[in-house]
Amino acid sequence: MSATASPLLQVEGVTLRFGGITALNDVSFDVQRGELFAIIGPNGAGKSSIFNCLNGVYRPQQGAIRFDGAEITGRRPVAIARRGMARTFQNLGLFSTLTVLENVMLGRHHLMHTGFLAGALWFGKARREEIAQRHRCEEIIELLELQPYRFQHVALLPYGVRKRVEVARAMAMEPTLLLLDEPAAGMNLEETEDMARYIREINEEWRVTVLLVEHDLQMVMDLAHRVMAMDFGRVLAVGAPAEVRANDDVVRAYVGADA
Amino acid sequence: MSPLLRNTRITTEYGHDLVLWRSRLAQFGALMVLVAFAAAPFAVGNYWTTVLIYAGIAAVGTLGLNLLTGFTGQASLGHAFFFGVGAYAAVVLSGRFALPFPLWLIGAAALGGVIGGLVGPFALRLRGNYLVIVSLGLVFVGQHVFEHWGTVTGGLTGTAVRAPVALGPVDASALALPWITLSRNQGYYYFVWLVVLVLALAARNIIRTRPGRALQAIRDRDLAAEVIGVSLVQYKVGAFVVSSAYAACAGAMYASYARYVSPLDFTLFLSIQYVAMMVVGGIGSVMGSILGALFLTALPRLIESASASLPFVAAQGGGGGITVFSLNQALFGILIIVFLLVEPRGMVEIYRRIKRYFQAWPFSY
Repeated sequence: MSATASPLLQVEGVTLRFGGITALNDVSFDVQRGELFAIIGPNGAGKSSIFNCLNGVYRPQQGAIRFDGAEITGRRPVAIARRGMARTFQNLGLFSTLTVLENVMLGRHHLMHTGFLAGALWFGKARREEIAQRHRCEEIIELLELQPYRFQHVALLPYGVRKRVEVARAMAMEPTLLLLDEPAAGMNLEETEDMARYIREINEEWRVTVLLVEHDLQMVMDLAHRVMAMDFGRVLAVGAPAEVRANDDVVRAYVGADA
Repeated sequence: MSPLLRNTRITTEYGHDLVLWRSRLAQFGALMVLVAFAAAPFAVGNYWTTVLIYAGIAAVGTLGLNLLTGFTGQASLGHAFFFGVGAYAAVVLSGRFALPFPLWLIGAAALGGVIGGLVGPFALRLRGNYLVIVSLGLVFVGQHVFEHWGTVTGGLTGTAVRAPVALGPVDASALALPWITLSRNQGYYYFVWLVVLVLALAARNIIRTRPGRALQAIRDRDLAAEVIGVSLVQYKVGAFVVSSAYAACAGAMYASYARYVSPLDFTLFLSIQYVAMMVVGGIGSVMGSILGALFLTALPRLIESASASLPFVAAQGGGGGITVFSLNQALFGILIIVFLLVEPRGMVEIYRRIKRYFQAWPFSY
């Protein structure tokens, strides 16, 4: 991480309102290239709303989002995905009637070219592309240890495995920025530890910048380089994990007013 | 002992996973089905050959509906309209512009695709019931146009069709083999089912490659599909184009075979028949589309031939009891309900269960 490089993601003064409710209030932060940045906060703090603004599902009323040198505020999700931003969903966004491999292959959709006609003809281009893309998918399946489940339908898999499939699908997009929305939610201790290991490997070995939203404070403190704490759509503190944990506002939001 | 039907071949490269019929037994089975289909017109006689021709035409239409509804999740009652567009396109392209055989068929499918592409954008704003209503409206608009655009459609009374399936010396209505000349029915049978084979393989190939995965992603979770880079505009409209082209192709074949079409051939009942074939055969299954079309085209004819021995069923109206025609209409509705309740994945799931039983044999799971 060099100090001279421009940040991969710059969020400036983003405000998002639904009618009278202000979900995000003047939120600003940067994510550096190669960083593992975490956002924490109680329920309703606006964590998932940030993700939805970043990848174009919501359009903020004010503010600007710059990603990899380009302004992406208000762009369509498809365009943002093609620029290299991938995400997972808090309550799973998998295609449940498809197999694990098909889900991972779908991550490579924007890197592939077969259209309806070439697909219908099958022989030649379409078949070659299926095989060529399969190689990379297998590397990602290996990364997330999904080999036993390759040809199983996602709907039949246990929850913890499905969470991994979703990370695999996002990684198949070859992202420069990976948004993980509560990857350890609903998991037991062992699964959470596994997930932390995958996230670290993705960040350190695969050199993907990670933006993490998580409730499991222990996991955040162990993994993240920097942490941003939020409450009621506002930023409370940004900094190293230990700093943020010691911040008075953060303690108040989490534990209560008298702490 | 190795289980009866299990594929015992070892995968050594990714290409092996992409073979449609992998095991020897599956290959043998596919070959047997082909042989049975080739022999059918000689085995079942002229009447049932006609029934099988209509079943093949219905199979193409049902494949189209299944691509749109079964695989992309966009419900439609509009397929009778696209079927009609294909039929009248054949009338005009072959009759008026005198285009030769493959051109009028391709042209009809293309026109269906173009009109489907114009209707497709509605699916970007509407979903579920609302899309069904729009597609329902399409059938009625179509009826109106078919009835009143007399110069093209012949109006209410209909029009004769001259769209021969003949390319050079090969003429489906008098197919000459070295030792025998086939009847028109036999020739059309091979033509129609060859088209079914080609279009079923094309559908299967679309489904297992990039565009098909995108369609299924939209069906399963459209928001997530968009977020990973699948364009809803491109693929929802694309599904409408391909699906309507299939339906129009079926309509063109129908016009060519029946030699006479009228607006009464393209009513809402036809759309409902397609929905029934899809539901009974298997939503989201290529083979199910064909099974459903075969079963529901043959069923009314079976009832008809058995009507003499069925109580309360009369061949003609007025004799007391329910007529064969109204019994059949009721039956389509009943079958949709029964299958949705009891076997929502259709006949193809029954087949899969039987296959699994033998794969696990002699164990029960």
